[in-house]
Amino acid sequence: MPFSTPLPRRALLAMAMSAAPLLLAGPAFAAPNVAESFVDENIHKGLEILRDKRLSTVQRRDQFEGLLLSLVDVRRIALFTLGQYRRSAPPEDVEAFVNAFKNYATAAYQSYFAKYTNQQLKVTGSTQRNPTDFIVQTQLVDPSSSQPPAEVDFRVRTDTGKPVLVDVAYQGIWLSLEQRDQFVAFLGQNNGSVRTLIAHLSDLAVTLGKPT
Amino acid sequence: MTARGWTGRGKPGKSPRKMGVSKGMRRTWTGLLVGLVLATSLGGCATGPTSPEALAANDPFEQANRAALKRNAVIDKYFVIPTVGLYFLMVPEPGRRGVHNFLGNLSLPTIFVNDMLQGELSRAGQSAWRLFINSTVGLGGFLDPASKAGIPPHGEDFGQTLAVWGVGEGPYLVLPFIGPSNPRDATGMAADILIDPTNQLPFKQHIWWDAGRIYFTLLDLKGQTYETLQGIQRNSVDYYSSLRGLYRQMRAEQIRNGRKTAEDLPDF
Repeated sequence: MPFSTPLPRRALLAMAMSAAPLLLAGPAFAAPNVAESFVDENIHKGLEILRDKRLSTVQRRDQFEGLLLSLVDVRRIALFTLGQYRRSAPPEDVEAFVNAFKNYATAAYQSYFAKYTNQQLKVTGSTQRNPTDFIVQTQLVDPSSSQPPAEVDFRVRTDTGKPVLVDVAYQGIWLSLEQRDQFVAFLGQNNGSVRTLIAHLSDLAVTLGKPT
Repeated sequence: MTARGWTGRGKPGKSPRKMGVSKGMRRTWTGLLVGLVLATSLGGCATGPTSPEALAANDPFEQANRAALKRNAVIDKYFVIPTVGLYFLMVPEPGRRGVHNFLGNLSLPTIFVNDMLQGELSRAGQSAWRLFINSTVGLGGFLDPASKAGIPPHGEDFGQTLAVWGVGEGPYLVLPFIGPSNPRDATGMAADILIDPTNQLPFKQHIWWDAGRIYFTLLDLKGQTYETLQGIQRNSVDYYSSLRGLYRQMRAEQIRNGRKTAEDLPDF
């Protein structure tokens, strides 16, 4: 039988020490769990804020915005959605756009997530695209409905040292991709004017309930 | 495909039924022709130059598509939405659920055929079981005991089959009444009319059956998608391109049958 002869203490110590790098490697092996935990904890926090009836509308909006801005890399998403116009637009317009996008996005995301406050989110797994890029798969379950659960994926990046959300997909449709498509089309229709897009986004943010 | 009794010959003046031509056959070919005409007709309707962004987005008929979307919105506003509103008022939710289930059950033979054509044998088995269970225990399809038995619904159509076979989608189109599409999916829609066995059944009043089925399918679809589309419109800086992008992502997801392909995502 294997291991029927007790191993010498030195051999045991050598085995333990050789295993230590694996145990301590941390990020490479534990990262998918870090991404999953990040999504699990924070999305639940967001849904709890949205369903907390003790908060006024203003308090709910402000708390949700605070949480969202701490979790989402808004600047990265904003620059992505500009597409090829990021290179040709003046830097001051790009910065103004990032700010306008931030206001629009918080209003839009609050409007999206408000529809799902009565639902439960369950993390079902994750896929690692590269060492700092993860797709966390979840299901949104509506306990009051016989509809099958909706699949919602969250894209998490860790290349800045801490996990941040950069995109969300509902039933396979990625929000940032859709936003890039429409912003690039809008800019194409408006001679590449980022300022016109900023004005439009600011109007939308007001319409969606976020003051500018 | 040969209709029952078709000989290719018939005495002048005889009705198609006496000639042995199935009404279903004529309808299917008409459907195919209409689909192809719709899919290609917009090529002659483009007005004004196409922007480089539209060409890059494979939308060379953007101007005509935008005009079609506006026309569809007018039809929706003055005809479809009021009709859907009336449907929601007059038919309670259990009834609407029954209609939805019945229509879904009618589509199952077409879904089964497309599952098989794509080599998705497991999904074909699910479709066959759903058809059997819902048609029998489900009272002709008005109930959905198959879902409760752990056999969930799924959709398939010939447009997806063509995609699986390697046919590209072609340029983006907005079809009258139907909305977002492309030549592959429009051809697929027409082919599904051919595949659907209920279109091959020769019975009297078939035209009323067809009209009723189209009408309730429209009500059901609009009822299910109205709020979502309103939300997209409210949140969009450009509803047209938002819909275009969403349609393409949605079709890609349908073609993948929900399988995840994270490697296709852009890096940012």
